[in-house]
Amino acid sequence: MNKELTIDMLAAVKKPARYTGGEFGSIYKEEAEVRIALAFPDVYEVGMSYLGFKILYHLVNKMDGIAAERAYAPWIDMEQLMRERNVTLTTLETKKALSECDLVGFTLQYELSYTNILNMLDLGGVSVLAAERGEEEPFVVVGGPCVFNPEPLADIFDFAILGEGEEALPEVLSCYQGWKREGRPGGRKGFLHRVVKIPGVYVPSFYDVSYNEDNTIQSVTPNTPDAPATVTKRVVADLNKVDFPTAPVVPFGEIVHDRIMLEMFRGCSRGCRFCHAGMVYRPVRERRPEVLREIAHKQVDNTGYEEISLVSLSTADYSCLGPFLDEMIADFKDRKVSVSLPSLRIDAFSVDVAKKVQAVRKSGLTFAPEAGSQRMRDVINKGVTEEDLLHAVSAAFENGWKKVKLYFMIGLPGETDEDVLAIAQLARKVQWKFKEITGKGGCQVTVSASSFVPKPYTAFQWAPQDTLEEIHRKQGLLIEATRLKNITFQYHDGQTSIMEGVFARGDRRLGKALYLAWQRGQRFDGWADVFDFDRWQQALKDCGLDPDFYSHRQRGEGEVFPWEHLQPAVNRGFLANEYKKAQKEILTPDCRQGNCNGCGVCQRLGVPVMDWGNRSYDASKETNFVSLAEKMAGGDNCSYSIATQRPGLPGKGGSAE
Amino acid sequence: MKLRFQITKEKEIRFISHLEYVRTIGRAIRRAKLPAAYSQGFNPHMKYSLASALGVGVVSYAEFVELELAEPVNPLAAAEAFMKALPRGIRVLAVDAVETNAPALMSVAGGAEYRVTIPWTGDIASAVDDFNRAETVMFEKQAPKAKEKVKKIDVKFYISDLSAIKRENETELHFHCRITHNGSMKAVDLLNTLNEQYGLQLPVEKADIERLDLYRVDEMGNRWPMLDSLFEQG
Ligand code: SF4
Repeated sequence: MNKELTIDMLAAVKKPARYTGGEFGSIYKEEAEVRIALAFPDVYEVGMSYLGFKILYHLVNKMDGIAAERAYAPWIDMEQLMRERNVTLTTLETKKALSECDLVGFTLQYELSYTNILNMLDLGGVSVLAAERGEEEPFVVVGGPCVFNPEPLADIFDFAILGEGEEALPEVLSCYQGWKREGRPGGRKGFLHRVVKIPGVYVPSFYDVSYNEDNTIQSVTPNTPDAPATVTKRVVADLNKVDFPTAPVVPFGEIVHDRIMLEMFRGCSRGCRFCHAGMVYRPVRERRPEVLREIAHKQVDNTGYEEISLVSLSTADYSCLGPFLDEMIADFKDRKVSVSLPSLRIDAFSVDVAKKVQAVRKSGLTFAPEAGSQRMRDVINKGVTEEDLLHAVSAAFENGWKKVKLYFMIGLPGETDEDVLAIAQLARKVQWKFKEITGKGGCQVTVSASSFVPKPYTAFQWAPQDTLEEIHRKQGLLIEATRLKNITFQYHDGQTSIMEGVFARGDRRLGKALYLAWQRGQRFDGWADVFDFDRWQQALKDCGLDPDFYSHRQRGEGEVFPWEHLQPAVNRGFLANEYKKAQKEILTPDCRQGNCNGCGVCQRLGVPVMDWGNRSYDASKETNFVSLAEKMAGGDNCSYSIATQRPGLPGKGGSAE
Repeated sequence: MKLRFQITKEKEIRFISHLEYVRTIGRAIRRAKLPAAYSQGFNPHMKYSLASALGVGVVSYAEFVELELAEPVNPLAAAEAFMKALPRGIRVLAVDAVETNAPALMSVAGGAEYRVTIPWTGDIASAVDDFNRAETVMFEKQAPKAKEKVKKIDVKFYISDLSAIKRENETELHFHCRITHNGSMKAVDLLNTLNEQYGLQLPVEKADIERLDLYRVDEMGNRWPMLDSLFEQG
């Protein structure tokens, strides 16, 4: 097996440091009983920015006898050289070919990275199709947000882990270690029958799918008693009790998020109806401020980074953000470490926060009203008014900002041309506000509009996606309407949104087209300069598949979806009701601090919302942290805004509806 | 006070770019918690610099970092802390301490020593002889940006002689290259010169280039180490 990337190969490609490893903090375990490759199906700079793998890398490498190593998709220039010279894709650490690992774990971050998974397996010497994988080959395991509908990849992976991996992955690896020690009883099948007993594990070959005449799903049923009818995701009940990496790998080159990523909390309770992450990562669970500060100090010591980004789905919602930020800034001022937030909420508080973290840097603020008209914002449950936005930008302008970037989506369910044009009007209003406040013109507004893609487990999972023509037409409307001084309009390529939509709500039959498109040269579909829409369309056609069936069809109220045996624990009834409320433009409030809306997650998982908000935060008094479970048992929930007062808690996870 | 370290860039990380190498050194200094001096202003920068830019892919045992300090430290202790904070592939070989206003190391470098290993076993002896005996050997250096601009340089001004060792499946070249205030020449360009002037077919892209040393040269032509070394490692 040839694994060497020679001097001339590395000298010929762009960014050769992508392929050579050796970064500070990387962990080399030459001897290991079990080796898992954490394979990210995109280039190094993207993959290295992914927090999930940072967490798992450190967690797994703490286990005795078990090694986690990293692998990334070689960019096209390197792939070409590797194929010409028969060089196998290896991990960065001990340079094991993927085929030499015991397991290869991929994260499903984005539908358009699927072809890269096939390509990496192939380059790594692993059979691409699970059914063809021999006894000596590694198991291919997947996880990540798209794992709640991994069906288009069902032919490729051996098993999946649903939800958070901190507890589940070590269980899986220990299970593998035991099976290997015992001499691999029952072969590959034997292991799958073992691992499927771990909660959260899904083995696609253990399920049969039958279809109705109209091509919709009739049923998905287990074909072995070992496989549960539905697999429910795993979550960590208390994030304060799981390891968070304190010495992550520090890359040599610049990566996408080249800074410390401090995960404040998981989940989001806002309930935006288009948002996949907002549903599948529930419930909200915050890390305690003192835990976060301790991690931050260790990370700064161990990485030398100059910036800490406070990440989560909506960091401004962190319950004690104000005092926490003050402390962080004070802690790190002398060490020349800055603190930043990846996103802002639309309110004056956020501008206040931005002021603190950005100090004098007036680079521009970004807000995401998501839709232009109030009507549409109500449809998607954004819960933000025009007044809120103008209020927020006023605060920004008063504090010296001159540039604003606004994020929108077009193609939301029920959208009219008027709603589309309201995007441009909103941008104008922001400019007027600037004039009103500063008495001057010249406010730069960037309007960015992506095309909405309906996702599984959202209120819009039933809704048709706009056709390509419709997307183009609406983009055209906005191009016209934003042809104004100091307004820049950015939009995304509609073709990639269409393919993303097909795979997001696709089923197992798409596997064939995926394989064919990959064989015909598709990879890096998320990269606009490489993506080839026509080749995709042809591949679908050649497999007898109709893309419109997946993306543009209004799904029936009672339709069985291909993903329903895979449960993020959000009730179908809740989503259906949200869809109805969307059509009636009725809002659903945030559930973070009190009123449960009955999405089902907390009850079914037996994990409450954890938010430290209902008391003022004082670090000096935070010495004795009583575990949440004890608090719940003791009925003391007055100081914690947890969900114990809500019906049915703490109950154990129920079954799917 | 200014600390000066001799550090390496070894095989496993030879392909990180100069910029990446510089950033890596900066982060290591921060991890080592050396009391670095920072520039004033809103975006303060750590005051450190590297003595020379090394080509991507070139291994070096003679890179030099200068770090201005905000307060004095024990250089040996600093070197030890720095060493621990470096990734594999970078080691500290020597350290010394000088006044903050001492001249920058790059301005005192007079020459570098190279070893080049090429997976090639053709006849090189006569080319080496001819090169060593020649008065001048001209090379047309392509300027990287403007294609039309070709700079002619006399290779012999930089490299007066070289030696070659032939092994079973590779050839090793050894030479010294002069560094002046106006620059130097790249090791890889010596190989290009040999190919052009003596009709060799050295696979330049496969050359394993190592900078073994960087040194000062006095008026008499004597070579002196860059640092007044206090601490040395093998
Ligand atoms: S169960 Fe209730 S409190 Fe928990 S996430 Fe769902 S709506 Fe919010």
